[in-house]
Amino acid sequence: MRSRLFKPTLIWLQGVTCNGNTHSFLNLPYLPQLLARFEILYHPLLPCSQNLEEIARCRRGCDVLVFEGAFDPMMERAGVTLERLVAYYAEEAGHVIAAGSCASFGGIFKAAAPERNSGLAYAGEHPDGPLLGKAGKVINLSGCPVHPEWLGFALMNIAEGRPISVDALGRPTALYRHMAHDGCLRNEYFEWKVDAEQFGRKEGCLFYEHGCRGPLTHASCNRTLWNGVSSKMRVGTPCFGCTEPDFPRRNLFETKTNMSIPEEVPVGVSKRAYLTMTGIAKSFKIKRLEERLTDDD
Amino acid sequence: MMTKALIEHIEGEASLYFDTRGEKITWAEIAFPHFRGMERMLEGRKATDALVITPRVCGICGHAHLMATVRAIEAAYAQAGYPVELTRKARSIRELTLVLEMIQNHFKWLYLVILPELEKLGVGGISPAPLKGAYAAAQATKILALFAGQWPHSSYMIPGGVTCDPTHLERIQAAGLLDELIGFFEKETAGVGLDALLSFASCREFNPLQSDLGRLEKGLIATEMHKKGMAYDRFVVLGEHGFTVRARLKHTRPMKADPSQVSTEPAVCRDETSHARNVRYGKHFYEVGPLARSISADTALIKNMHRRYKDSVYTRVMARAYETAVLLQHAKTLLAELELSEPSYVPPAPLERISAEGEGIVEAPRGPLMHRMRLERGIVAEYGIITPTQWNLGSSVMSDPAPAQKAMVGAADIAEATFVFRSFDVCSVCTTH
Ligand code: SF4
Ligand code: SF4
Repeated sequence: MRSRLFKPTLIWLQGVTCNGNTHSFLNLPYLPQLLARFEILYHPLLPCSQNLEEIARCRRGCDVLVFEGAFDPMMERAGVTLERLVAYYAEEAGHVIAAGSCASFGGIFKAAAPERNSGLAYAGEHPDGPLLGKAGKVINLSGCPVHPEWLGFALMNIAEGRPISVDALGRPTALYRHMAHDGCLRNEYFEWKVDAEQFGRKEGCLFYEHGCRGPLTHASCNRTLWNGVSSKMRVGTPCFGCTEPDFPRRNLFETKTNMSIPEEVPVGVSKRAYLTMTGIAKSFKIKRLEERLTDDD
Repeated sequence: MMTKALIEHIEGEASLYFDTRGEKITWAEIAFPHFRGMERMLEGRKATDALVITPRVCGICGHAHLMATVRAIEAAYAQAGYPVELTRKARSIRELTLVLEMIQNHFKWLYLVILPELEKLGVGGISPAPLKGAYAAAQATKILALFAGQWPHSSYMIPGGVTCDPTHLERIQAAGLLDELIGFFEKETAGVGLDALLSFASCREFNPLQSDLGRLEKGLIATEMHKKGMAYDRFVVLGEHGFTVRARLKHTRPMKADPSQVSTEPAVCRDETSHARNVRYGKHFYEVGPLARSISADTALIKNMHRRYKDSVYTRVMARAYETAVLLQHAKTLLAELELSEPSYVPPAPLERISAEGEGIVEAPRGPLMHRMRLERGIVAEYGIITPTQWNLGSSVMSDPAPAQKAMVGAADIAEATFVFRSFDVCSVCTTH
């Protein structure tokens, strides 16, 4: 019965960050219950038993290290380099969680300083970073920011002592085996190749002209909704592929096309098959999909 | 003697360096050590990419950055001779989500920062409950996400309007959630109905309240915060919104404010490299934020507090906490008046035609946020951001201290000075970006 009483200790450290993952996490509906399962030694906002200066002394390790932000070896927290802090706490921790795309792959802040910043075990999609040798320990929860429910899922599994299986980029398969496209309310338009004529409409798919990366992005944003209620595509914004190692790409509101066919096709589909299918689907004229859906507004 | 204090729980860290006589603070300098290079990374990108990048300047006010960016792009369109048409609906949805972001910020600051810090100053009976702040903030961001898709880091405002196309379903859901949040605020935070609180005209009316706001008010008096932390008693509001008025104020006397008078220079700290900047209007430092907004908006209660206790920590803190009520009410009005039949988006001219400069200003939770950009055929050639915390939390020389420096001088000891510092709602990531 020891496992029920045993509380893993947790330290949440920040590298080069905007604090978005910290704030995203505060949206978790079962936050109090989750926090009760851990002994929080340090967190940048939530109540915790130690302060940053105590943490920087590197005297006592933790069971779970959550790291937010890109890794810049020379950056200091309370006068101690991240290089030393990460090396020390990762050594003892049973689990290291890279919370968000910066910690996973470098993200926005790798794009800002590519020569210095990286993720913990990856720089973009290349295995690199201070914890490369410990990559087995690192759970990458990519996303800009991390979805609160994904972090909740990983931490609850750790608290319950359940193993977490991960994909080739270290992301939990349970969360990242789906595409962001999965569950999108615009899927019917996607199938029949009907693009949203313009922004600001609930009708139409955003893949063909408006830059949506849903079919190319491993994420469950439309299965587990953001803030419990929505997602980018639900409000007509394209998916920017923020969970992938190449985030942030360029020209985010546009789709690169070749003879009006998107240059990149959905993951797992051959380009040829896709072209053939597109031709056929486009030949159907489905009246319902070409009209506006509601006039109640 | 020079003493250093590391301040955290402020969206990153800051270092404060104090000169003291006995315990008393005679001088303070402020350093923000972390820099991330957000402006540079936008150069060479299409202007619309900035709508995705700039919200990542700050995890707690990314939406304000999004709005400043979209306003700056639209201003560049106008300067280039292609004015962007915005429907009333697009305007009110943008304003609504911005207001909700401010609300989540204020709840977090009150419950996760100010009440626990006040208790540390030795005030009894505060019983801080930080998770209440997280709960209320999450309710606010849920309503926000119904229109914006998610929070943090959405990019649903675009030149010409918004990407969403809400129906009455979302409107009714949002109204229900907002009523719930207002219920929480009345019961837990205020201890009195929203309408009653909004009609308060004097601080005496807090006396009977058995609520978090009541305890806050009493705690501030008990620690004599009504006699401490005065800055310049000069204020600036620059963003144009329905909940406040653009103005420059000396005491409570309003004058016209012209954003072209705003300038910046590197902050000064003798003991550490700081990446902050000092921001001035004309030659002078001004305080920005909810206190500035409340005075400019002629909020009776806050003006009464100001008359008694000037721009003290008491007035500054109460103004921020009280603004939550003003904003909840404003959100309710915006939602009730939302006219869904108009288009969400009116396509603007092709971005490639735009070679011009644009400035976007919004009131973020902590005060005016300004984005300036220069576009060459739709590509960002230059990008500059001035954040509210740079106005308040600059670090300058003894003959001309920034508002927070001036406010800290005279504090009884370091603990008190850091509370004064926090009364400005410090944000490290925004200060340096
Ligand atoms: S909008 Fe994006 S996620 Fe939705 S169906 Fe189209 S491609 Fe898929
Ligand atoms: S929809 Fe795409 S861009 Fe948006 S959060 Fe999910 S993975 Fe990121």
